[in-house]
Amino acid sequence: MHRYYRSIGTIAFSFVALALFVVLGTSSVHAASPELSSEQRQHIRSECTQIKGSLSQLHASDALLRVNRGQVYESMTSKLMTPFNTRLSTSGLDNKAMTTHTLQYQSALVAFRNDYILYEQKTSEALRIDCGQEPARFYQAILDARDLRSTVHDDVQKLHRIINDYGDAVGDFLLNYKRLAN
Amino acid sequence: MATTEDTSPLLPPRVEPPAFWERHRLTLLLVLSVSIALVLTIVSVILYTNSGAAQLDLSRPGYRAVSDKVERNSEIDQYSSIGPVTDKTIQEFIKLYKTQAGKAKAVDAFSGDPLNPEVLVFGSSSSDN
Repeated sequence: MHRYYRSIGTIAFSFVALALFVVLGTSSVHAASPELSSEQRQHIRSECTQIKGSLSQLHASDALLRVNRGQVYESMTSKLMTPFNTRLSTSGLDNKAMTTHTLQYQSALVAFRNDYILYEQKTSEALRIDCGQEPARFYQAILDARDLRSTVHDDVQKLHRIINDYGDAVGDFLLNYKRLAN
Repeated sequence: MATTEDTSPLLPPRVEPPAFWERHRLTLLLVLSVSIALVLTIVSVILYTNSGAAQLDLSRPGYRAVSDKVERNSEIDQYSSIGPVTDKTIQEFIKLYKTQAGKAKAVDAFSGDPLNPEVLVFGSSSSDN
C-alpha cells in the first residue's frame, strides 16, 4: 500500500515537473539588441504609445487580411483544383501537370500559414515589450517582424504564380483534349 | 498452540500507523487534480497558439474593430468532382477558375513595408527634422 502511494506521489511530481518544463521551455529567448543612438532610444521612449498604437492597428488589419485571403486561397485548392483533378482522374485522363501544380500550391499554402504564424507571434511579442523601458529590444522585434512579413508576402506571390500556372496547365490540357477528340 | 495475544480478549489488536500518503489522501487528490488540469491547460494553450487557430480567432481582444469585416459572401463556387469530361465541362471549369483566380489575385496581400522603422518608429522624427 505504501509503495502504491509512493508511486502516485511520483506521478504527481512528474506532472508538476512537466508543467514547469513546458512553461520554461516555451519562454522566449531574447535576441541581441541592435545598436541605437541615444537620440533614437529617447525617441522610441517618448513616442512609445503612438508607435504601439500604429503597430496594434497593423496587427489587427493583417489578421483580417489573413482570414479573408486565407479563405480564398484554401478554396482555390479544395473547391476547384482538387475536384477538377479528381474528375480527370476518374475519367482516366492524364492530369499529371495539374496534379503537380496542385501539390505545389498546397505546399505553398502550408508555407503561407506557417510563415504568417511566425510573423503574428513576433508582432505580438513586439506589442508585449515595454518600449519605454526596453527600446532596443522593441526595435529589434520590429525589425524581425518586418522580415517575417516580407516572407509572408513572398508566399502570397508564390501562390498567385501557381494559380496562373494551374490555369495555363488547364488551357494546355484543353488544347490537347480537342486535338485528340478531332 | 495459541499465543497469549490471540487468546486474550483484553488486548486490542495491533494496528500499523497509517502511511504518510494514506494520511494525506485529500491533499494528494487535490495536488493531482490541479497538476493534471494545469498540464492540460498549458498543452491546449500551446496548441491554440502554435497551430494557427489563435491567428484566425478575431474574437480576441484587440481584433474587435475588424472582426465584423470578415468577408462572408466571397465564397468560391465548388466544381463538382463527379461527372463527364467533355469540351463543354472543361470550358465551364476554365471560366469558373478564371473568375475565382481573379478574386484570389485581386489583393496583393502583405505588400508594402509598413514595418519599416523609418516609417513606423522614426516617422514622426523625420517629419520633425
